[in-house]
Amino acid sequence: MGRPAAPARNPEPMAFFAVFRTAFLLAVLSWRTCQSEVLPERLPLTPESLHISINSTLQHLHLQWTVHKLPYQELQMIFQIEISRFETSKVIWMGNYSTTVKRNQVLQWSWESELPLECATHFVRMKSTVDDARFPELSFSSNWSPWEEVHAHTPEQNTDLIFPRDKLVEEGSNVTFCYNSGINQNISCYLDRELIHGEQLYLNIFTFKLNNVPFIREGGTNIYCAVNYTIKDGTVLFVSKVLEEPKDFSCETQDFKTLSCSWDPGVDTGLFFDGQPSQHYTLFESFSGKKKFCEHNNQCNWEISRDLQETYNFTLTAENYLRKRSVNTIFNLTHRVHPKAPDSIHFNNVGATNATMTWKMPALGNYSTLLCQIELHDKENMRQEHNVSIKVNGEFLFSELMPDTAYMVCIRCANAKHVWKWSKWVTRTLITAEAAPSKALDVWRKVKPEKGLHHVTLFWKPLSKFHANGKILFYNIVAKDLDKKSELKLQSIPAPANGTELTLDQGSYQIQVTANNSVGASPASEIVISGDSGNEEVEEQKINGTKDGFLISWKPLSEDRAGYVVDWCEHQRNLHCELQWKNVGPNTTSTVISSDAFRPGIRYNFRIYELSTEKIAYLVENKIGYTQELAPSDSPQVKAINVTSHSFTLSWKDYDTEAQRGFIQGYRVCLKSKATQCHLDSVAELLPDNSTCCEHAINNPKQKIFLVENLQPESFYEFFVSSFTSAGKSPIGTFTKVTTQDEHSHMLMHIILPMVLCVLLIAVMCYWKSQWVKEKCYPDIPDPYKSSILSLIKSKESPHLRIMNVKDCTPDTIEVVNKSEGTKTQFIGIEKPLTESEFPKPANLYLLPAQDFCVPGPCISFVNHTYSESACDSGSCAHTPVPDTAPPCHLELLASPDNLLNTLEKTHTDSLGEIPAGKISLNYVSQLASPMSGDKDSLLIHSPVPVLCSEYKMQMAVPSCLDSPVLSENGSLSSMTLLGQDKHYH
Amino acid sequence: MPLLLVLHWKYGAGSPLPSVNATCATRHQCHSSVMSQIRNQLAQLNSSANALFILYYTAQGDPFPSNLDKLCAPNVTDFPAFHANGTEKAKLVELYRIIAYLGASLGNITQDQKLLNPNALSLHSKLSATADVMRGVLSNVHCRLCNKYHVAHVDVAYGPDTSGKDVFQKKKLGCQLLGKYKQVIGVVTQSF
Repeated sequence: MGRPAAPARNPEPMAFFAVFRTAFLLAVLSWRTCQSEVLPERLPLTPESLHISINSTLQHLHLQWTVHKLPYQELQMIFQIEISRFETSKVIWMGNYSTTVKRNQVLQWSWESELPLECATHFVRMKSTVDDARFPELSFSSNWSPWEEVHAHTPEQNTDLIFPRDKLVEEGSNVTFCYNSGINQNISCYLDRELIHGEQLYLNIFTFKLNNVPFIREGGTNIYCAVNYTIKDGTVLFVSKVLEEPKDFSCETQDFKTLSCSWDPGVDTGLFFDGQPSQHYTLFESFSGKKKFCEHNNQCNWEISRDLQETYNFTLTAENYLRKRSVNTIFNLTHRVHPKAPDSIHFNNVGATNATMTWKMPALGNYSTLLCQIELHDKENMRQEHNVSIKVNGEFLFSELMPDTAYMVCIRCANAKHVWKWSKWVTRTLITAEAAPSKALDVWRKVKPEKGLHHVTLFWKPLSKFHANGKILFYNIVAKDLDKKSELKLQSIPAPANGTELTLDQGSYQIQVTANNSVGASPASEIVISGDSGNEEVEEQKINGTKDGFLISWKPLSEDRAGYVVDWCEHQRNLHCELQWKNVGPNTTSTVISSDAFRPGIRYNFRIYELSTEKIAYLVENKIGYTQELAPSDSPQVKAINVTSHSFTLSWKDYDTEAQRGFIQGYRVCLKSKATQCHLDSVAELLPDNSTCCEHAINNPKQKIFLVENLQPESFYEFFVSSFTSAGKSPIGTFTKVTTQDEHSHMLMHIILPMVLCVLLIAVMCYWKSQWVKEKCYPDIPDPYKSSILSLIKSKESPHLRIMNVKDCTPDTIEVVNKSEGTKTQFIGIEKPLTESEFPKPANLYLLPAQDFCVPGPCISFVNHTYSESACDSGSCAHTPVPDTAPPCHLELLASPDNLLNTLEKTHTDSLGEIPAGKISLNYVSQLASPMSGDKDSLLIHSPVPVLCSEYKMQMAVPSCLDSPVLSENGSLSSMTLLGQDKHYH
Repeated sequence: MPLLLVLHWKYGAGSPLPSVNATCATRHQCHSSVMSQIRNQLAQLNSSANALFILYYTAQGDPFPSNLDKLCAPNVTDFPAFHANGTEKAKLVELYRIIAYLGASLGNITQDQKLLNPNALSLHSKLSATADVMRGVLSNVHCRLCNKYHVAHVDVAYGPDTSGKDVFQKKKLGCQLLGKYKQVIGVVTQSF
């Protein structure tokens, strides 16, 4: 593969010398030819001074030689070249190189080797032949030049080397590696672990050929060779991607000062390290002959000359180590204008429906006319599109705009004569001014008459943005009394409100509602409340809804009407009704009410009103329905009443059918009993627990009572009542148990009841005569004459014993047998309050029964010697007068019982000890005796009171209560005033 | 200016320090724990040497990871010697030579790898970190030699210049050096 190295030139003819020289040369050559047969002498025109150099990177052999003694100034010659490898005899390439040779010219020619030149010694020789038609006499070949041997320089002295080193090739090309093993061994070479097929080229030289090499990575790929699986050497192969031709090459100007050329560079062919840098680009303009090296891989700027060159012819060249690629474009400058985006955009004189926009186009000056495209968008769509021609400054008037509306205004421009590219869109927001609302409000009302007044709730739907023309600030409500022709109410409700409440009397009122923004008010909505409003009653009619809504139809009330209104509550079960309404034209008697808020199982109530021409609403019809009926969610709460031996009655009076999820069509009474068969009026029903019941059907939803008959006496029954709608029954709940009565129970009642009444009567009688019976049977004071003692006396016949007659006694004196001066109970005179621990224990609670001391009434006890002599003998007799005002006993609050007990015991013991037995005599206290007075040590004894009760007691100690007199240490009566006197101990 | 201080080697640095007699002087006295610091730094190098080695040969691609004995054998002929049983002074001098050698080589390797494997960021980071620690070791050893042993001059040698070598040879030499480094740093660390 040879390359021409020098151009040829034509010689100047010199006729005379030429003829002479030709003749001379022929003679010489003839003589030389004759001599050459005898002597190996070189012929003229043999290439001489052959010098061979090596370019290892390109794998080129570069040949330089001369031809001496050129007979003419120049000759057209052919050089035949032979290249041998390893040995001169192993010619691997033969070829001709044809060129015009000048005198004294150094000729050059290159040959590219497929095999790396380091792999082998190369030999080169050549000979020449004149191939010049002008000199046919010179058409002979010269001798071969001597073989020239050439060795590539190897960087290492190591014999085990792979060549080439760091080879750079394009993706898809073929590469040959050689390995110089030194000796004939088992060589294997690999590319990324993949074995490469090799062959022995010469004694110790092996070659490995890679065909169509792929791009693997930017960092190159290791190729290594192993001898007997021992790696000896390696090299790196850099595979570059193929340099692509630049795409979409174009140039444009935005300001007539600079041309900006851009293109798509395609893949980057750069490799790491010294493999290959990324391709670079140059721009050449043929008319001006200027060239520019581009700094970027995808764009380049070109300065436009001041004379505004009209036509440009650009050649863009991409280049890397391996390849060059060029593209070309030719254009007129004015056809490559790409304006910058408009700026200085302003809106002036912005009104409710129009506005003026101004803008400027930068940089282009007055050089060209521009076409600007303007688009007006609202939130949804493009509303207007305009084209405007300008030079530098633009202005446009928008009209037919909507008040209080935000518009997006987009503008872009291009060269009007030749649209190359539009500028970028520039977007600005235009907000028009507000205007008064353009539509009356949709108003409806709910009237609730109460106590002679009308509670009117007004509702209105907010105006759409289209009709509001601005932000609604408030709503004005004016109520006019139509009877008195005067305005009564004026309310201003701030937005956002959708209703208000008015309280009117039962007259007729015209209510006007307007919506107001910052500019003005909307047309008024009128509605009239008549005196009868809210009192209308019409019968409810059931309607069937569907998923799509309710088809409602009605009959007109009158011929003269302004229209109809159908209202309903959106959320029927909630307290918050959210009243909805629909206006229907006067000639329409049906409509479909649909809403996303409708839910299955919810009862909706639709009221149809007819609006008169005076704006008075009359209730026409009232319809209820479900979009989809569901089975009831709960069952009635049933009570079993009137249970007899053969029947009982079920009642569920409070069951709310309106709250159910469908129209209640009736009830099912499910009765379980031991009987295996159901009665004729019922059917067997299988329950979820696989038991059965007899089901009685009630198909009247208003019936809320049911008599269960034909039952067995003293039998156990279970029942459950469920309701049902068109969608099914309510869920089965817990069964209620009932046991029928005994058949003879009523007879027993006939006997037992009178008996009970008799017993009660006797008991009442007894209670009523209890005092009489007591006195007769068990008197508190026995009559000795009636006592059995009399019989005993008589039986003993003791003459001395007789019954003492009260009248025989003189009971009105009390004899004080013994008295100890100055001795009192320790409680008297204690000034400070006693704490609980300081109080003595109330011994009386333990000495005597409490009821004896805490009697509610005054009681005077006395010792009857007739029966208590023995007791008196022991010296413990005393009397205990009880005041009539004795309070209930409070000892437990006053003192510790133990202390008091101890104290009293001690007192009692001391008194017993100190009082001589002989001085003690029997005392008798008459029931009629006056309490003693004047004794300062005695208790406060009140005036005599009638004796309400009396009994015999052995008066051994102490008072009945703490404030009762107690025995002093010396046995006399002492005052122990704890309560009711000066001191209270709580 | 103490010629001992070769703290900032550069890419391609291969010539030995000029042998000029100079007084041994440092700006500051060595810290009393300088030997401890040297030991810690050596331990740090020793602990990261294997990871660096693995990162390196992995980044070079096949056949390096599977032919470590052939391509990454620690056959570095001109590597400075180290005698673990020598005196502290002798060991410090040898350590100085080794670290100087390694530091220069590591600089070359780092430079090459940034061009050859620009995406192997963890390798670059590890190489730089190792070079940083080596600079610290060199500074401390210098301080110790100067202050305690008054050694003002140590002849150092650097590895062969690889700038003219082909890519595969650079990869191979780098791998061999890091293998040698891994081997030597273990011995050196043990001896201190």
